Amino acid sequence: MAADPTLDLDLAAVTDESRRLASSIKPGSGPWDVIIVGSGAAGGMAAYQLATAGVKVLMLEAGRMLDYPKEYRTMEWPYQSMRRSRLPPDHRPIAVAEYSFLDRPYGNNPVFDKYRKITSYAGNSFTRNWVVNEKEHPTTGTPYSWVRARVLGGKTNFWGRGALRYGPLQFKAASRDGYDVDWPIAYEDVAPYYDKVDVLLGCSGTKEGLVQVPDGVFQRPTKLNCVEVAFQRAIAKMGRHYIPGRAGVTTEGVLNKYRARCLGRGRCGRGCDISAAFHSPTALVFPARDTGHLSVRPYSVVSEVILDGTTGRAAGVRVIDANTREVMEFKARVVVLGAGTLDTTRILLNSKSSRHPEGLGNSSGRLGCHLSEHAMGPRGSGFIPVRIGTEPTLDDGRPITPYVPRFRNVTDRHPDFIRGYHFQGGGGCYEYPGLAHDLPGYGKAFKSSVRKYYPAMISLGGFGEVLPRRENRVMLDSEVKDAWGIPVLRFDYRFGDNELKMAKDMADTVEEMLAAAGAESIKVERELLPPGWSIHEIGTARMGDDPKQSVTDKFCRLHDVDNVYLADASPFVSGGTQNTTWSILAMCWRTMDHLKEQLRSGEL
Amino acid sequence: MTGRALTRRTVLRTLGAGAAATAFMPWLSDEGLAAFAHIQAAKAPPRPRVLSVPQYATVEALVEAIIPADERSPGAREARVADYVDLLLSEAEDAVKQEWLDGLTALDVDATRRFGAPFVRLDPGQLDALLADLSRSERTAQKSPLEAFFAMTKQATVQGYYTSEIGIHKELRYKGNQLLAEFTGCQTQDGKDCPYCGQKAEGR
Repeated sequence: MAADPTLDLDLAAVTDESRRLASSIKPGSGPWDVIIVGSGAAGGMAAYQLATAGVKVLMLEAGRMLDYPKEYRTMEWPYQSMRRSRLPPDHRPIAVAEYSFLDRPYGNNPVFDKYRKITSYAGNSFTRNWVVNEKEHPTTGTPYSWVRARVLGGKTNFWGRGALRYGPLQFKAASRDGYDVDWPIAYEDVAPYYDKVDVLLGCSGTKEGLVQVPDGVFQRPTKLNCVEVAFQRAIAKMGRHYIPGRAGVTTEGVLNKYRARCLGRGRCGRGCDISAAFHSPTALVFPARDTGHLSVRPYSVVSEVILDGTTGRAAGVRVIDANTREVMEFKARVVVLGAGTLDTTRILLNSKSSRHPEGLGNSSGRLGCHLSEHAMGPRGSGFIPVRIGTEPTLDDGRPITPYVPRFRNVTDRHPDFIRGYHFQGGGGCYEYPGLAHDLPGYGKAFKSSVRKYYPAMISLGGFGEVLPRRENRVMLDSEVKDAWGIPVLRFDYRFGDNELKMAKDMADTVEEMLAAAGAESIKVERELLPPGWSIHEIGTARMGDDPKQSVTDKFCRLHDVDNVYLADASPFVSGGTQNTTWSILAMCWRTMDHLKEQLRSGEL
Repeated sequence: MTGRALTRRTVLRTLGAGAAATAFMPWLSDEGLAAFAHIQAAKAPPRPRVLSVPQYATVEALVEAIIPADERSPGAREARVADYVDLLLSEAEDAVKQEWLDGLTALDVDATRRFGAPFVRLDPGQLDALLADLSRSERTAQKSPLEAFFAMTKQATVQGYYTSEIGIHKELRYKGNQLLAEFTGCQTQDGKDCPYCGQKAEGR
């Protein structure tokens, strides 16, 4: 069979640009006031805040630059012959069952010997050029599906767009149930920053007045389709809400020449080629670069933060060029780590010195502890009668499905578990009728049953808070190193009793709600997905007022070294049920305001 | 890197036969998908990579029996699902491929034993009798090799058919993936009675 010549996505222009940038930006090219590690939600927001304030910034991205008009392939059909990317037979993602059954490091397992590239479950034909090869980026320890993307913008290029705020129930969770500690800050400290993020980046949603997920400054909301309205009306009788999803997508436009408003194509996870969806490169990095104050150096793998022997402050970072393997040291007055919760933690753990023998910022011994995310897996589906046997309608022309905000431990006290969970999901006519795989039979009867139930499908999945526990942690592996010789993370992370009880309740309540909606053929999945599946990891460098109990202060600055800031979710104390990205953006903005003040006042 | 050399098949076995059937060679590469698309778009004559000409004919008959043409849209034959199955096989592990090809042979053996003719020559009544038996255990974990073969092939047929142009546009009449000024949703969201689902506007 002749290979389709259009199959390969030609990335020559962007790799050339990346090499040119990497070779032109050298340690002596500065000076820079601030080095930012990472270019995703955290690094992007940090760079935007600093560069627009006139601060000279060097952004270090481990991967390459992004040719976003080419790489975001929003409207491609599965049958399209002009397919510009391919997942060759020597490349495949790790299957769900393999996370638990295969020994770590996954990529080095003999099962995968014949493949050249093994990616996390998030690897597909749209993301495959962005997500890392597990063979180059191993992990050890307990099972964990750690999704990483090394490219400008990181995971924001394919994120799920769920733009939810933490509220008082998260910041003061311990005061409510006595477990662990509160954040050292309150919702009121972050609320103005959430508002500013909504305005800068665009957030689609509806005002609901719910304490469990506070309202924002919203643009035109998405709507519910027919099956979702039926579900909404049914669970309203149970006192539960089902509201339009809140999406980090501009439906009415924002002041940004790289972005347009949403056109309702509904294929956002492939990268939105008009950048109506928030992606860090177009929303933050490019506008920051346009100020003339930001240099972006791709192919820059940061191994550690280096110290000034005299002052004891951070002097900069050590970088391994991903192409040339050249090791170099970039220096600045301040270092901001935004490599993602776990890679930021890894860089700090690897920054060992006589002064900081257990890693930088780890005098408390808490660095790497309290890893938290969202337990996923329990889900339910069924067919909503009002749409059984009807003609298909356009049901998916929007950036996000609706969701059921947390209803446990909001006003009541559940006897079996603390904290809570929410559901995300919707239904109606999507491009692929997954329900066909579950319908029995064959022939005309089978075919017509697929189209009979196709418009009626509804499906919801839970996201449950994993309690932050000190024993759930990552550390540096003493033997295994990545392709650049940097020690990899060893996971010691398990779901606990609270998560298991919560998961049981998730399955029970989704079943109960589907039944209330009169759904037919209700199917409930009760098993938890592997740890890490949510890609909502937080907490391994938690913030606090007491340097003996925490890694950073309440401005995400290391207690131990006053010119190192953390811009991602690593300082988060607890994560509620909410998707993490919007909180990273808001918290990072707040952190940068503090940093700018320190620079202005001459403290740094 | 010590590792229990758990094979993919072991994993699938551990998960139970139902999951194994769903996971029938799910790793068709994008190259394969694009090649499949090319076949569909060009209406090219079949040039199977793995299947012999008679095997290809049997697969065509089988997938068409699973998703046939009807008054609404063409079936799996016209959507070139046999080519899709062939592509899946061409990228499958040898053991999986052999197991499936053995199933295909067993299908003809069964047809000949019961009706004195290979699968492709069965009349509609005979076809129905045979498939009714093969699909009986579809939702149970315990399956004979031939029943497992049917389940695997049905999953692949669903996948191939509903990702084809015929499946998406003619059969499902999928309406998404267009440029919209604004997503409408259920008409009740705009305070009207909805003609698509019959739900009344709130408060009426």
